[in-house]
Amino acid sequence: MDFALTPEQEMLRKSVREFAEAEIKPKVQNMDETGKVPMDILEKMAKLGFMGVMVPREYGGLGMGHIARTIMLEEIGRVSAAMANTLQITHLGISPIVTDGTEEQKKKWLPLLARGEKLSTFAVTESTGGSDVMGIQTTAKLQGDEYVISGRKCFITNSHLAGVLGIVAKTGEGTKGLTAFVVQSDFPGFRPGREENKFGLRGCNTGELVLENCKVPKENVIGKEGDGLRIALSAISNVGRPGITCAALGIVRSCLEEAVRYSKQRVLYGKPISELQGVQWNLTDIYMDYEASRLLTYYSAWLRDKGERCDAENAMAKFWAAEAAVRCAKKTIDVFGAYGCMRELAPQRLLRDAELLIAGAGTSDIMRLVMARKALTLA
Amino acid sequence: MTVSMEMLGCGRKIADKLNTDLAAVLLGHDVEHLAGELVAYGADKVYLADNKLLTFYHSEAYAAIISDLARKKRPEIFLLGSTSTGRDLAPRLAAKLCTGLTADCVGLDVNEKGQLLQVVPAFGGNVMATVVCPKHRPQMATVRPGVMIPPTIVEGRRGEVLKIPVDLKQEDLNIKILDIVTEEPRAAPIDTADVVIAGGWGVGSIDNWRLVEELARSIGAAVGATRPPVDEKWASEDQLIGQSGKTVRPRLYIGIAISGAMQHLVGIQDSRVIVAINKDPNAPIFKAADFGIVADFRDVVPTLVEQITKLRSTKDSFATGT
Amino acid sequence: MSPVKSIVCVKPVPDPRHWSELALDPVTKTLRREGIPSVLNPLDKHALEEALRIKERFGGIVTAISMAPLTATDSLREAIAIGADDAVLLSDRSFAGADTLATSYALAAAIKKLGEFDLILCGNQSLDGGTGQVGPEIAEFLGVPHVTYARKIQILERGIVRVERALEYGYMVIEGRMPLVLSVVKEINVPRYVSLMRISEAMQAEVRVWTSRDLDIDSSRIGLSGSPTQVADLFLPVMERRGEMLSGAPDTASKLLVQRLRELGVL
Repeated sequence: MDFALTPEQEMLRKSVREFAEAEIKPKVQNMDETGKVPMDILEKMAKLGFMGVMVPREYGGLGMGHIARTIMLEEIGRVSAAMANTLQITHLGISPIVTDGTEEQKKKWLPLLARGEKLSTFAVTESTGGSDVMGIQTTAKLQGDEYVISGRKCFITNSHLAGVLGIVAKTGEGTKGLTAFVVQSDFPGFRPGREENKFGLRGCNTGELVLENCKVPKENVIGKEGDGLRIALSAISNVGRPGITCAALGIVRSCLEEAVRYSKQRVLYGKPISELQGVQWNLTDIYMDYEASRLLTYYSAWLRDKGERCDAENAMAKFWAAEAAVRCAKKTIDVFGAYGCMRELAPQRLLRDAELLIAGAGTSDIMRLVMARKALTLA
Repeated sequence: MTVSMEMLGCGRKIADKLNTDLAAVLLGHDVEHLAGELVAYGADKVYLADNKLLTFYHSEAYAAIISDLARKKRPEIFLLGSTSTGRDLAPRLAAKLCTGLTADCVGLDVNEKGQLLQVVPAFGGNVMATVVCPKHRPQMATVRPGVMIPPTIVEGRRGEVLKIPVDLKQEDLNIKILDIVTEEPRAAPIDTADVVIAGGWGVGSIDNWRLVEELARSIGAAVGATRPPVDEKWASEDQLIGQSGKTVRPRLYIGIAISGAMQHLVGIQDSRVIVAINKDPNAPIFKAADFGIVADFRDVVPTLVEQITKLRSTKDSFATGT
Repeated sequence: MSPVKSIVCVKPVPDPRHWSELALDPVTKTLRREGIPSVLNPLDKHALEEALRIKERFGGIVTAISMAPLTATDSLREAIAIGADDAVLLSDRSFAGADTLATSYALAAAIKKLGEFDLILCGNQSLDGGTGQVGPEIAEFLGVPHVTYARKIQILERGIVRVERALEYGYMVIEGRMPLVLSVVKEINVPRYVSLMRISEAMQAEVRVWTSRDLDIDSSRIGLSGSPTQVADLFLPVMERRGEMLSGAPDTASKLLVQRLRELGVL
């Protein structure tokens, strides 16, 4: 069992970290205060190949796997969970085309998505169901050579930024009644709706999508009519959920570094508080949570790279890392004392960002449901 | 001329210890009048090469003339200033003469074997090394300006001025100097600046703040601030240094009228050298500083600006001692 | 305009964030660098960036070269991932312990083996040694001109290079004919990041490793035995804050301060 990163993975980690510290870190405070997405950073990431990490090389992507994506997102999440989420949702939007797209669809969409010319997302959630995918009500009716899609999607990341995205809509009833479509933001009848004002992950765009008789060519169906549920659940389990997990892992890492650094600098009672056992208990709890989260995260990535179906492991990693992020952020605030409550310092932002990750890609309660299916087979 | 004088001072001491002559090499155009000064500062001989092509430092021309001279005169020791000129010329000469060169010395002495002991910084000054050049000659070193003490002038001191014929033509040279341009020193953003001057609440007013800015301008430094000046709008938010602002790692930080609260100190603690100027002798910043001046900054800063401006205005014309 | 063949000299240096971990061996008087991660010397990244910009404008090829222990293949792969076309590492026990003269001699020999070149680009100095000597010394061994402190480079017609050379009080404009050696300062450009798209390529690229036997050299001029200078002593200066109070009238205190600061090389 080799837990070490390969030299290629190590170079990837080093390069992404360098970029994140030099380019993203200076903008983090402004992102949190204004809630604006720094488009210039997205452009720089696009040029360096970040968006196409899992797009095959022949379509202009990096052709790397899940572990590479994990490394990338953890390093970005360590600096900004908001930026990590923006990036990972673009990966999510791209993935159904990679897994289920026809050759024509791949040739048409993947190169420009890999280049980051257009950002992406995958819109499933509606007010009537997010955890309950079958509860969605957006309809898609075939009329001649086109589907006419009407409905409203909510809590969609990159709602106002995505140019080429996936939409899941009802084409029938039952588990074969959902279909996934590639939709372009310039299709008539498609528009972003309200933009949400979140208390965390600020600087990551979340909002509504409104489809009013939006006409989508039938060539844009991903897979076949009725494949929508399978495609959605698979993409969320294998790409969207792990993306949130990595952002959470980045937060836990950041908590560890912030708490340790602060405690070594803060002098009370004549010595750094890092010498106080009580503070050390907090630090070690965060450290353990980081290592445990990291192992679960990379293990599930390893399984996915092997091509194994691992919904329970993906869910476990997400549950653990996101809950750990909230726990560790609270502990970091405790280490900082009153300073931890100040908007100018990191800990309070880490807590706010972490809480949003619990709700994204399936709440912790839903993760338990997913894990239960596997747990029940274990004896 | 300043580093040249400093080297003559140090060279004189070494020449006396070795019981040998100290020679200076002077290149330029219409510079003969400087030869007398070099003698007054301690040179026994001045080798003078005067030619229009030598008006400004020209690597090819200077290296050709000086290496020729060194081969003929075979000095034991050859010192140059660690300036943009010296750091360009010395290595070229060292390679031509196939000898050892030590850069940026902060200390020079001779040991009982008569060898030159060269003390140099490495790793940005975090490590110090003593270097020797046992077999090869001349033992070459560049000397950091402002370290050696300039000697006292001995009026009427005698020395020889020996003219070196220069028969170089521009056509023989590959490099051509087109222009020399003087510039105002430029300031950089605080997180990447080499020198940061920061002001605190004690500066008192926006009028007084201009003293902070003037000092920064004179060094080409960036200006930083603690929270109160930012709140008072003497400085902008992106100049804030500290826990909730930027962390700076300059080689030199000067805090003016800053008390030194923890929130600020964490932003500057990696600076190589910290200087504090504050009229309160109990200000915590003095414990965190390398150098402290207890005084009203309005008295100290103008004199600092004066001295620094004087330093900057000297354009070193080239000279060495051997 | 014809394509430009550039060679960039790069040096892996101990990561400054880990310098506090450098241990001084009091017996051998050397620094123990094991276990300390290396980074590419920052100014060398500016040199590489400049070479890549020149290649983007005029075409040509960019080769990275280094004289270092075998672990430096990582740094050379990083150079390729940033954009260099290929890399050469001079690595051999006999190169060890070299001062700048012996280093420059070896590098010049390797460059001669690479064949004709138009430009050699180096960082003006390294973070660790900081001598700035290797560029000019390589130029001398190759018999070509050199320009240090280059803050702007323009390639003109007929193989002429125009350089802005930074001075203490401004700058100098110089023209020279290729081939020549240029040492660059950080003001020259903003280096690009490793392109993730080049990482696979860089990891699979062949980094040519040359030993002293692969070069046409006089082996007495390389390594420790080929180094005219030797370290007689190595010590760590006291790191704590000095807490030196400068007293006296304002202008006396200022004078003293300026002198202290110049002694330390920070002013």
